[in-house]
Amino acid sequence: MDPLELAHLLRRTEYVVRPSRVTDLTPLSREQAVDNILAFSGNVALPGYLENDIEGEGYDQYVYAIQWWIDRMCDVARPMREKMTWFWHGHFCSGWDKVGSTRAMMQQNKLFRDQAMGNFRTLTHSMSLQTAMLVYLDNIDNVDSSPNQNFARELMELFTIGVGNYTEEDVTAAARAWTGHGIDWNNYEYQFHSGDHDYGNKTFMGVARNWNGPDIINYLLQENTAKKLVACKFLSRKLWQFFAHQLTAGVPADDDIVNDLAQVLYDNDFAIAPWVKAMLMDDRFYTTRAMQGLVRSPVDFVVACMHYTGMRSEQLNPQWSVDGMGQVPYVPPNVAGWKTNGYWINTSLFGARADFARGITWRMRNDDPANEYFAYYFDPSEGTEGNPAQAVNNVVAKFALDLSTITRQAMDDFVTQHRSQQSWIDWWEPTDLVTMAMMTPEFHVA
Amino acid sequence: MSIDPDISTADAKRLLTVREHLSPLELDRRRFLQMVGWGVGAGALGGGLGEVFAPGLMSNRMREAYAATPIGATDGIVVLVGFDGGVDGLNMVVPYTNGQYYAQHGTIAIPANQVLTLNGSVGLHPSLPYLKTLYDRGEVAVVQGVGYEDPDLSHFSSMALWMYGKNDGLMPSTGWVGRWLDGMAGDDLFRAATVGYSLPLSMVGDVKRGTAIPPWGIGFGGGSEDHDLQLYDAMREFSASPSGRGEWHDTVATTVRGVIDVGQEVSPVFDRDLPDNNLVRQMMVAARLINADLGLRVIDTAYGGFDTHSSQPQAFADLMGEFDAALKAFFTTLDDRFRTRVTIMTYSEFGRTSWSNDSEGTDHGTSNNQFIIGAGVQGGLYGQQPSLNGLDRWDRMPFHVDFRSMYTSVIDGWLGGGASTVLGSSFPNLNVFKQAPGQGVATGSVPASALGDFVGVTPYRLYDSRSLNRLLPLGAGTTGEVQVTGAGGVPASGVTAVALNVTTTLATGTSAFTVWPTGDPRPDLTNLVVPATRAVPNLSVVKVGKGGRVNVFNDQAEAQCVVDVVGYFRTSAASRLQPITPYRALDTRNGTGGRSTPLGPNGSYDVTVRGLGGVPADAESVVLNVTAVFPTATSWLTVWPAGQAKPLASSLNYVAGQVVPNSVIAKVGTNGKVSINNANGSVNVVVDILGYLSPSSPGRHFPVTPARLLDTRPDNVAPIGPNSTRTITVTGVGGVPASGVSAVALNVVALSPTANTFITVWPNGETRPNTSNLNPRAGAGVSNLAIVKVGSQGKVQLYNQQGTLDALVDVVGYFTT
Repeated sequence: MDPLELAHLLRRTEYVVRPSRVTDLTPLSREQAVDNILAFSGNVALPGYLENDIEGEGYDQYVYAIQWWIDRMCDVARPMREKMTWFWHGHFCSGWDKVGSTRAMMQQNKLFRDQAMGNFRTLTHSMSLQTAMLVYLDNIDNVDSSPNQNFARELMELFTIGVGNYTEEDVTAAARAWTGHGIDWNNYEYQFHSGDHDYGNKTFMGVARNWNGPDIINYLLQENTAKKLVACKFLSRKLWQFFAHQLTAGVPADDDIVNDLAQVLYDNDFAIAPWVKAMLMDDRFYTTRAMQGLVRSPVDFVVACMHYTGMRSEQLNPQWSVDGMGQVPYVPPNVAGWKTNGYWINTSLFGARADFARGITWRMRNDDPANEYFAYYFDPSEGTEGNPAQAVNNVVAKFALDLSTITRQAMDDFVTQHRSQQSWIDWWEPTDLVTMAMMTPEFHVA
Repeated sequence: MSIDPDISTADAKRLLTVREHLSPLELDRRRFLQMVGWGVGAGALGGGLGEVFAPGLMSNRMREAYAATPIGATDGIVVLVGFDGGVDGLNMVVPYTNGQYYAQHGTIAIPANQVLTLNGSVGLHPSLPYLKTLYDRGEVAVVQGVGYEDPDLSHFSSMALWMYGKNDGLMPSTGWVGRWLDGMAGDDLFRAATVGYSLPLSMVGDVKRGTAIPPWGIGFGGGSEDHDLQLYDAMREFSASPSGRGEWHDTVATTVRGVIDVGQEVSPVFDRDLPDNNLVRQMMVAARLINADLGLRVIDTAYGGFDTHSSQPQAFADLMGEFDAALKAFFTTLDDRFRTRVTIMTYSEFGRTSWSNDSEGTDHGTSNNQFIIGAGVQGGLYGQQPSLNGLDRWDRMPFHVDFRSMYTSVIDGWLGGGASTVLGSSFPNLNVFKQAPGQGVATGSVPASALGDFVGVTPYRLYDSRSLNRLLPLGAGTTGEVQVTGAGGVPASGVTAVALNVTTTLATGTSAFTVWPTGDPRPDLTNLVVPATRAVPNLSVVKVGKGGRVNVFNDQAEAQCVVDVVGYFRTSAASRLQPITPYRALDTRNGTGGRSTPLGPNGSYDVTVRGLGGVPADAESVVLNVTAVFPTATSWLTVWPAGQAKPLASSLNYVAGQVVPNSVIAKVGTNGKVSINNANGSVNVVVDILGYLSPSSPGRHFPVTPARLLDTRPDNVAPIGPNSTRTITVTGVGGVPASGVSAVALNVVALSPTANTFITVWPNGETRPNTSNLNPRAGAGVSNLAIVKVGSQGKVQLYNQQGTLDALVDVVGYFTT
């Protein structure tokens, strides 16, 4: 594969460009490389500590859950599984702050991971009957005597077909269909309360029937082929914007991308794997627009920093840092999930990124009297000490950066300026230069 | 409260979901919320707190590189205070004579006898005493009946609407402050800010947006070491020109530069201690941001907890107390020069029900009370309290004032206009302001130094932070501004410098005062070492600044400040200085000067000065060193011209059992005498004459920019040991000419004395006189002004009696020959 295209593909699917992956995938064709990246299957067990609620340890479990997930993003052989898990987390949002249960949140997380490349319709059925979603969107309060529309509305507006493709009457009917789908308050597991279900006839999308909740999903994603295609387009737009670049509705070229991808999803009856593969095979995934089109989210940024510096959650406690950057795993800002690019960019949020980068380099310095982390920087055989350009080269290579002329000039200037002040290289030089590397625009737009 | 900038009404609605069922899990919610809301910065407060003598805010190099533009003298500033969750306006501004209020609010109503009454029908919650003080000063507008049409009782859609500031049914994508920003020229980085981690929708415009300043301090970007600055300079280069890598690359590059610029400009705000208390901290940060004069015109603060569905009384009292404390902290911290340029406006998404519920709480309501506070505000009640008559359990009060009328009032009345553009339509202006922003702000330039002749005046109190001017102490890092011309016998013009006795009292910790001309950069000078609690005076001779004013800067803690003027220097002919060999005019311990008993409570004595030690008949004022010896009580001396009524002024403050000297310039009264009065207890008094001012003397005064002549602190020179003397050159240095100088005014500071000791400063080549300029006690720094005749070779000597100490000597002026 073309080195630039491969690097782009790896950044978007595996967070970072790992040298071993470059070695493995470079000889392959695009299709072989994509298949390799998507070669994961089976279920992943949760850590025992996260399987159940432990009284009084909810907070510790929550922190552990964040660290466990972020470390997985750094360490698993096929990080695309975690990327897709996150995609579904941001799509079928539930928030730990409202759900308040380790078990419920982690069951949902496990579902997203195990079914990441499964079937979207199946996934929708499964997530809708899990405690996390039932609590998060209030379907536990949706009873015959007092319907709550929250879940029924979002199922259409945000999860499947999008706003404008249903009426308020459809929401009312769908809400009635979902009545009674709640939880058993004794064990906090899904339970159908037949006494709270509305067994009357409801007219949904013009069809009068004794609708039950799951029927709604089947109708939207199976029976009504028009709605099914709408859903495929809705999801394809979201997938492309998550992995490639933002799209403008109504621009023919952009709509083509959505339509092409939607057809794949439709033809495969919501099988996810061929759909994702089609996106990664598409030439339009490898345009300059795509390569320059996404700002790393806070979690992606943290994972990249951790990968290139060898640090892990235990050392860095990233759960504190990502919050300041505007994104906390398991706590989406609202049911619409996280947005992209401009959403992450302001001085406060980027100040938190810089703090994190600085924090890493301080740890590299303070925790490491043997200077192993900076060994590449000070490698005398590379002639670093006498050569500012070589020092920058070493750092650029370490962080797999492809620098613009102006950024490269800035880094060279820093080293030159630093060395003009004194005749020896102090520890500030590598500390600051490595911090600077993690704050280059090239490291964030990746 | 931080709604994400991209919030839509639909999204906002989704955020409001009341949990009816409790989770079976006992998640530690407090810790959880701490974690979610605490985030970065808490552990990243880099850099040491400034030591007492830390000089300026930052090096000149940095200020030049990252400088923001100060606001104009007549630009208004608005500080927003959000009561997140929907404040119970009826318990904040209580209709204490309304029987319906007591019937409907029931057990959680505020009893009439606890209300801080504003008039015959409404009063403030009892936890708002400082707000009451401001109201009594006529600086608080209470706006009643604030709401909007078709109220939506959801927190988030209501808050989104308040932030949006329009009610056009469209999805909010901008906010009212943001759209106001859009209409402003220039850089928006320092124009509007929220003290928080994320930008509220209110601060997002179509093309501009405010800046978020974390309340726990600036992390990256706030360093000041050489290597930090090298790194910052290099990182700013990322955005020096377009990269050719696309829009997002360049946006990130610009943002990285913004991180550094904000860090460099804002980090000094966090150099001094801040309290942990949420709103108090935010509002102190807001005041310091204003003091830093970065160009900020709108600053947003907010705190939550007002959604009091149950157990309201204690929680609400705590929240009101926090608001009151935050207001007090804000005005304590605010520099005097911004006092007439700042207005505070409160907001909350909605009010609460007039009926309390069964859980000692209130539910989401509509109409509400809000405050607009500031020196420019015409205090009083605005709008209309909705009637409670006929309201049933779930009824909500009608509203009388659209919240955008408040916005209109501050935009048009305080932020330069344009409300109808910002808000998309016109709303009635409440006309809450009695004056435009910046009335009384010093303008013009600081006059150049000029030779001056002295005119003594009866001491006159120009400034008293306890009563006259602020009603609040000077906060840490806060600057008071003293009008020194046109009052107390000092003319409005022709004044080159003033002699002030500056006194601190009731400080909450150790600190230091700097006194300097308004409009000049603050010098690295300690005029007064401020101890905790104790009252300490020092004489300052200082050039007058812009608008005939001088500044007093308090470095740390909170300290009250009192300034008395004792004389001034003018360009036209008057008295001139003649230093003399110190002559003891009074010592009540041994009868020198005709008195051999201490001064008792309210005891006065007239000391003859004319005719003694060479003081001639035409002497109009004398320069004295007055020492209180072992007073029996904490008290003070007042020195004034004999034959006149004792003025409200102090010349020397002391506590029981100590020896305290101060330099005093006293106008000579009838029969060539000055009067001395002791307030409390009894005290022995020693008076030494150091010089006199007469029309026939040579010494005209010239104020110089303070220049350090001696600094013995570590890294400079060794401290001064026991029974040792240092010789200091005072001419030909620090702006003092090499010749033609008869005397210099030196500000002498003793630091870290290891023993109780005294310091004497006298002319080189003469025998050390039996007087003291400073009497430091072990461990306590002190300062005093010394007007010293220049000795041989243009030098003076400084003697320390016991132990070791560090000394700072700054020259602040000189007298000609």
